[in-house]
Amino acid sequence: MTDDSLIDAESAARVGTVAARATGEVHRLQWQRWAAAVGDHNPLWFDADYARVNGYDDVICPPLFLQYVILGVTSLDELRPDGSSGAVSGGLAFPRAPRRMAGGESTTFHLPAYHRDEVEMVRTISSIVEKEGRSGRFVLVTWHTTYRNQRSELVAEATTSMIARP
Amino acid sequence: MTAQLCYDDVELGDEIQPLVVTVDQTQMFFFSAATYNGHRIHYEKDWATTVEGYDDVLVQGPLQSALLARAITDWIGGRGRLVRYSVQNRAVAYPGEVLTFGGVVTAKRLEAGVGLVDLEIAGRRGEDVLMPGTATVALPRQPALARGEVDQRDGAS
Repeated sequence: MTDDSLIDAESAARVGTVAARATGEVHRLQWQRWAAAVGDHNPLWFDADYARVNGYDDVICPPLFLQYVILGVTSLDELRPDGSSGAVSGGLAFPRAPRRMAGGESTTFHLPAYHRDEVEMVRTISSIVEKEGRSGRFVLVTWHTTYRNQRSELVAEATTSMIARP
Repeated sequence: MTAQLCYDDVELGDEIQPLVVTVDQTQMFFFSAATYNGHRIHYEKDWATTVEGYDDVLVQGPLQSALLARAITDWIGGRGRLVRYSVQNRAVAYPGEVLTFGGVVTAKRLEAGVGLVDLEIAGRRGEDVLMPGTATVALPRQPALARGEVDQRDGAS
């Protein structure tokens, strides 16, 4: 790492460590609000009879909503200047690269999640690297995340990345 | 409700019924609310243009991702299952732009009796790929073929 690196030593030292651990309850009303905002009226998320006919015990949480059930609560005076809560990036901040964008996500879904399931997310920082893109230098952060339910069953696991730019 | 898509019906090169959406700021507001997303870049034009250097507020990357997943889960039906989903944010989208979400079948295989189908997927604005990705879905076998397999196993034992 050089002096002009976008990655400060404190952030670099956190590679391999748990960046965030959070629990939350899967809630039907929350995932249905999300689905409605996506315009996704799939009856698996809304209609218990339909879900049962298709082999489930009840309506199921849309796979892509699982990542939000563990979001915590942030006071308005704790928000970053850009209005984000920092929860998604596990508290990582790059003073030399303050602008952030979601990079990408790759998720494997193992089991359905149901209303009132208790989910624990554990997120580990896999890597922090500086890259050169079309619009200049940026920092690429990669996390590995597991989601387990109240029976410790692996519901899903994800590799997520974030881009931070100067 | 349309008929359930089965593994045996799918061929390489088959295309998902594309989903065409023009996201507006009302939808963006509801999506930010539903995902507890306070990032000003999605609702404060001054911030998005002056501080972050964009032309307008940005459509949330996770909303594009959710729309792309919706195209897949609509296509696979109630007995299909999204097994793996992978996307990258390559370019930003602004409200009012016509976005198309779709995919094409690139491979299919049976694993332990489960029919798996690989897809190359993308969110596009015209010819521009904003969000490329890949996905794997599990699809049910056609009942007759599934029964046929059971019969074969019975015959072999």
